[in-house]
Amino acid sequence: MKPDDISNAITQALVQGGAAWMISTIVAFLPVLWTTALMLHLGRPYVLRTLRRCGLRLGADIWWMSYLLIRDAILLITFALSWIYFEPNIVANSALPITGPLATLFLLLALAVKLSRRIDDDVNAYRLATVFLVLGATLYYGPLVFAVEATSQSYLAGFAQAFTSNTNVGPALVIMWISLAGAALVVIWLFVRALISANRSMERQVRQRQTPTTMEAAAGGR
Amino acid sequence: MSVQDLTNAIISGINAGAEQFLEGTLAAVLPVIWLALLGLHLGRPYILDMINRFTLRLGADLLWLIYIALRDFLILSGVVMSFMFLFPDVVTTDSLPLTGGLAACCLFAVLLVKLMGDPDNNLRDFRIVTGLLGLGAALYFIPYVIGVQGNAVFSGGLGNISNFLVTNTNASWAVGIGYVSIALFAIMGAIAAGYTLMTGGRAEVPDTTTPTTSI
Repeated sequence: MKPDDISNAITQALVQGGAAWMISTIVAFLPVLWTTALMLHLGRPYVLRTLRRCGLRLGADIWWMSYLLIRDAILLITFALSWIYFEPNIVANSALPITGPLATLFLLLALAVKLSRRIDDDVNAYRLATVFLVLGATLYYGPLVFAVEATSQSYLAGFAQAFTSNTNVGPALVIMWISLAGAALVVIWLFVRALISANRSMERQVRQRQTPTTMEAAAGGR
Repeated sequence: MSVQDLTNAIISGINAGAEQFLEGTLAAVLPVIWLALLGLHLGRPYILDMINRFTLRLGADLLWLIYIALRDFLILSGVVMSFMFLFPDVVTTDSLPLTGGLAACCLFAVLLVKLMGDPDNNLRDFRIVTGLLGLGAALYFIPYVIGVQGNAVFSGGLGNISNFLVTNTNASWAVGIGYVSIALFAIMGAIAAGYTLMTGGRAEVPDTTTPTTSI
């Protein structure tokens, strides 16, 4: 082997190894984000109880604002990082939980509920978001703990083979495409909803602006 | 050895090394988190004493909120970082405290008590939280000090105990305790989700037994 070969091998290894390391870091970090997101969402009664004890409005506002920002930012970051579950090459080549894409779809549904309804005022909307998050987390944790992270356990070999994406590529890709289609539908619905909402609010503003102008024109005409 | 073999060897070296480094870092940070959260929980009388000396309500409110946020964030981080104790591959490969998973369950139970009770105002709940933190700390630190950090020093009977308390030298127990911890996590998680669904995220459960009276 010549020095150039070794140099090429190290370069390729750094590029490919770096990519693989990035993916495995995201995969390792996602359970952390899922758990934090779930705990912050479920911990709302405790946060409210603490908030009620604040003597001043300022302290209560800071507390509530920090809670909302951290909770929703973590949900959004978890969804953004979970995008790796919608990439066919990664799903086929890396050891990922086979139901990861479905978990991501449920996370998106929880986010959609948050975007379309006021979950901090509407009890039923909050319950709906909770159900989506709990279902998503269950679909994520189950295969992760008993399949992806249990390859050393021989009695779990069948389960691990069935629920790890790169050892059961066919069903993994089917689940991925179905989830991706679901995610696309939710995103299109959110997009249309945002457009309709923006049209309504902007039309109202334009009408409000036009009303005095027509009155002024009428006054000028006299 | 071909160029491709060398490339593959370096790739697997990078990945395995980075994974073990990450898990090792988490294991090294966890005792610090445990000590900090214990310090903050036990330091409650000191904080309350300080709050009483404030002449301005704003300062008192901010100190209390920062204290609560830090304390609870550390508990939450402790639970999240202890997730590795639930992964069979990790506990059989890495040198971790044997009962770390059960310690994580104690931390999760603390969060559950905080969710369903009021440990900052109810003495019974505060005692439960303190007991759970004490139990969790014992379950973490005893195998950590005697097992993980002491297995090179002890020999004979103590050496056997030391090896028993480390996950990768007692893999069957470690995996078994991991499954018990997973079951406890699942039960407590289901209780937390059920409670939140029942309350709808409000501070208290709506009282359905009290008859409504028209004024």
